[in-house]
Amino acid sequence: MDNLNIGRHISGQFNEDLERVINHVMQMGGLVEKQLSDALTSVHESDEELAKIVHQSDYKINNLEVSIDDECTRIIAKRQPAAGDLRLIMAIVKTIADLERIGDEAEKIAEVTLQSLSNEHRGLLMNLDNLGRKVLEVLQKTLDAFTRMDVDAAIKTHGSDDTIDREYEALMRQLMTYMMEEPRSIPQIMTVIWSARALERIGDRCQNICEYIIYFVKGKVVRHTSIEDVKKL
Amino acid sequence: MITVSPQNILDSQNKLDLANMSPEQKALDIHNLNLFYGEKQALQNITMAIPKGQVTAFIGPSGCGKSTLLRCINRMNDLVDSCHIEGEINLHGQNIYDKHVDVAALRRKVGMVFQRPNPFPKSIYENVIYGLRIMGENNRRVLDEAVENSLKAAALWNEVKDRLHDSALGLSGGQQQRLVIARAIAIEPEVLLLDEPTSALDPISTLTIEELINDLKQQFTVVIVTHNMQQAARVSDQTAFMYMGDLIEYSDTNTLFTTPVKKKTEDYITGRYG
Amino acid sequence: MNNWFKSGSPWIWLSAGGVSISLISVVGLLYLIASHGLSYFWPSTLYQFDMIDQQGKPHTVIGEIYDREKIPVKQLAHMDLALGDQEYLERYLVKTGNRELVSLDFRWILVPEIKKTSTPKDLVVIERRTNGNFYGFIESLHLDGEQVSLDKMDELLARVTVFQSEIERLQKSDIGAINYQIERLRLQERKYRLQEKLTPEKEQEIKAKVAALRDDYLVLEKELMALRAKVARDHIKVRAMDGQVVTINFEHILKVEANNQYSFLEKLATFFSKIGSFIVDDPREANTEGGVFPAIFGTVLMVLLMTVIVSPLGVVAAIYLHEYAGNNALTKLLRIAVINLAGVPSIVYGVFGLGFFVYMVGGSLDQLFYPETLPSPTFGTPGVLWSALTLAILTLPVVIVSTEEGLARIPSAMRHGSLALGATKAETLWRIILPIASPAIMTGIILAIARAAGEVAPLMLVGVVKMAPNLPLDGNFPFLHLDRKFMHLGFHIYDVGFQSPNVEAARPLVYATALLLVTIIVALNMTAVSIRNRLREKYRMLEH
Repeated sequence: MDNLNIGRHISGQFNEDLERVINHVMQMGGLVEKQLSDALTSVHESDEELAKIVHQSDYKINNLEVSIDDECTRIIAKRQPAAGDLRLIMAIVKTIADLERIGDEAEKIAEVTLQSLSNEHRGLLMNLDNLGRKVLEVLQKTLDAFTRMDVDAAIKTHGSDDTIDREYEALMRQLMTYMMEEPRSIPQIMTVIWSARALERIGDRCQNICEYIIYFVKGKVVRHTSIEDVKKL
Repeated sequence: MITVSPQNILDSQNKLDLANMSPEQKALDIHNLNLFYGEKQALQNITMAIPKGQVTAFIGPSGCGKSTLLRCINRMNDLVDSCHIEGEINLHGQNIYDKHVDVAALRRKVGMVFQRPNPFPKSIYENVIYGLRIMGENNRRVLDEAVENSLKAAALWNEVKDRLHDSALGLSGGQQQRLVIARAIAIEPEVLLLDEPTSALDPISTLTIEELINDLKQQFTVVIVTHNMQQAARVSDQTAFMYMGDLIEYSDTNTLFTTPVKKKTEDYITGRYG
Repeated sequence: MNNWFKSGSPWIWLSAGGVSISLISVVGLLYLIASHGLSYFWPSTLYQFDMIDQQGKPHTVIGEIYDREKIPVKQLAHMDLALGDQEYLERYLVKTGNRELVSLDFRWILVPEIKKTSTPKDLVVIERRTNGNFYGFIESLHLDGEQVSLDKMDELLARVTVFQSEIERLQKSDIGAINYQIERLRLQERKYRLQEKLTPEKEQEIKAKVAALRDDYLVLEKELMALRAKVARDHIKVRAMDGQVVTINFEHILKVEANNQYSFLEKLATFFSKIGSFIVDDPREANTEGGVFPAIFGTVLMVLLMTVIVSPLGVVAAIYLHEYAGNNALTKLLRIAVINLAGVPSIVYGVFGLGFFVYMVGGSLDQLFYPETLPSPTFGTPGVLWSALTLAILTLPVVIVSTEEGLARIPSAMRHGSLALGATKAETLWRIILPIASPAIMTGIILAIARAAGEVAPLMLVGVVKMAPNLPLDGNFPFLHLDRKFMHLGFHIYDVGFQSPNVEAARPLVYATALLLVTIIVALNMTAVSIRNRLREKYRMLEH
């Protein structure tokens, strides 16, 4: 919270507005995190009930996104934020868009549970779960970095997307081998591929959020920049 | 992995390198300017170059010296007895604080508009041609033309063309301020100094003046002091942030208002305790 | 009670009380002056009192009642009157006129001695050029020695009036001009002599001119004599209160009024015509009768001259003090000195004017430019110029102070606006500051006029006289004679009220003159105030 500096505005109202919107973002982050973790659990434990709950809870994230969007618009209209405040609002607006997409991806993953998978494919799901846990961890770290607006944590997390990508590629190769060995199981495997793809996308989005954090704190655009350049910051 | 850093390709304008402008790009070159009111130092070592044909804004809290600096440019500070100035301000490579500089001639080259509209208690027409009359211009045709051109340039012509010989005091605040601007540009200065030109005006008049400032930079170098940061952000190309007599940060407006370098600037423009 | 104090009403009452007291004093003053002054012009009833005095002898008193009073009988004890045992006694002050018959214009009569009071219709009051009013009955009217009907009176009076004004014109302008020119020629000759440039030709020339003028003079004199003879043709016989019949030549008659016959409207007409002649006529009989025109003229001219002198001087001084003098101890000292000057008694200025202007400046001027008239002084004697200058010095602080205040009130934005357009300080002053300060300058001038028009004491030393033979402005070149002495209403009041041979007779005149003086000062002030208000209106928007 220290990095945010929002407590020092001469306008107490402005402080409150900013604090409220940040709290809402965190709340949304918590929700998204729970959704993802629930989705992964449902897949892991073939818990269809849980999967349904995940499926039904997505609207909460969507609602929050709309509300936060509104709040940001209002702040811009009323306070005409500049410099750091402006970057914070911009970062928030973009972050919630990414968070919302992460929520959607979590929903997609939960849908895997609802597909009837034969036991022989359960093993595939084990690998998926592995990737899922890693992605969840990245998401948690990202949200953590966001909460503290910790640019170092953000840079580190930004880099860990590489690991996810490698894991994802390995999983894909494995799945491809399966498909070649057993063309009959391609539909099931495709389901798994989609889930893996969703997890990979979540990783990318976490990376985006890290970039917003860096933009907010440093005022530098690090999108589409090599990891080495980011690390130089 | 893409290795080329991304760029904003939509900003067509070439960013000026304020620190290294060529002499042709500079309208004013302020060098190591120190100003004292009696014992008290009001400006400390100000060095900056103001680019030609652009709008440069001075922002900062009250008493930071931004108005003082503006008044240095046309030597209005000479009117203050206790004021003492060191350093140089160069206009065309000529230091305006040289002993043999004709102050009246300098002020004709560097016009100024003040915080409150201050039209003279004369007709609109006489107000506009005041400067020309001082210069000894009496040719009716020249004067008529100057009035029309200046009022048009100040976006006031259409509102007052039918009552040029009415008292200027009957105009609204915003019109008065535009009249004062017309009066200043009637003598065709090179630099136009605006000292909080909209602080006494309502928001709509303010917008009109801002629009006007944007037009004026085609012809003049404009330097504006304002308390209203959004205004500085809207109208200026370059912004200088001053604090306690120091020039803290001077850069192009887009950068200063999104990603200022200095913490004091950031605190000021985001409205934080300093 | 405490609440009442807290509410602030006592202070409102107190301040309202202050205002009412000032208002009452002003209205009271005006009322007193106006009622006494104007009653002087109202044609009053003419009375005939048939009386029996202590010795039992009957006699008649004719005249106007001027005053009535009740006096304690004790006061009259020395007169040894048999008045019974009343404690108080009423008596009238009656103006009886007829100065050639009795020495006093006025006499007191005791009411108990009056047997009969009547207001005969044919009683008239004759206003005369000399010897004051005559009260009596007209016996007969004589036209060129022959008796004619009394109806012809108005006709004959009108005829005489025409001739009289002709005579006046001849005397004042034509003959006056010739005398003036002869005097100039004499002075010219003397000048040439002093400069030793008098050649026989010049002397000859001057002599010829003088001779020509003398000839003109003789012609005019003849004309004058003829007119005089025409005027003196007719006369009337009038019976006074004691039965004496007096012959009065038309030459002396101004007006014949039978007040008792007049209706209200006629009285009103007489009232206004009397006011009119009071304003436009010259004074007569040591100022106790006739009009006050020279005094009005002198007052106004002197005040205007003073204004012309003091305004630029005061304004320039104020500009220097406010705009150019540094803000240091010396300036402050100067300012204090200026303010204190306003408190110096006016007679001191009079003494200064006499010593400095009249004797030093005037004396030097005479020696430099008018040696031919010496030893009789031209400017080295009190005159209208020195009076105006003295009063200008007297009122200078007022103009300086109020101009400076006006300058200080001008928003600095005006100055800066002008300077920023490349105007110099002098241009700014001339084109911007002075026009805006003009209402304040006018205020100063108004105060100066108010002060100067009412000032008498210093003028007695530097130029005012009881009776000035000529106005300071006439048809002879250079028209405005600044060296001449002049008459002044304020001094006129003092002179008539305290220095005249007949104070009692002059009292109404004092009031009338005072009323006139107040009116003139008010008129001068109003003119200035209206100019100022117009200027203020013009610059009103500046006072945000």
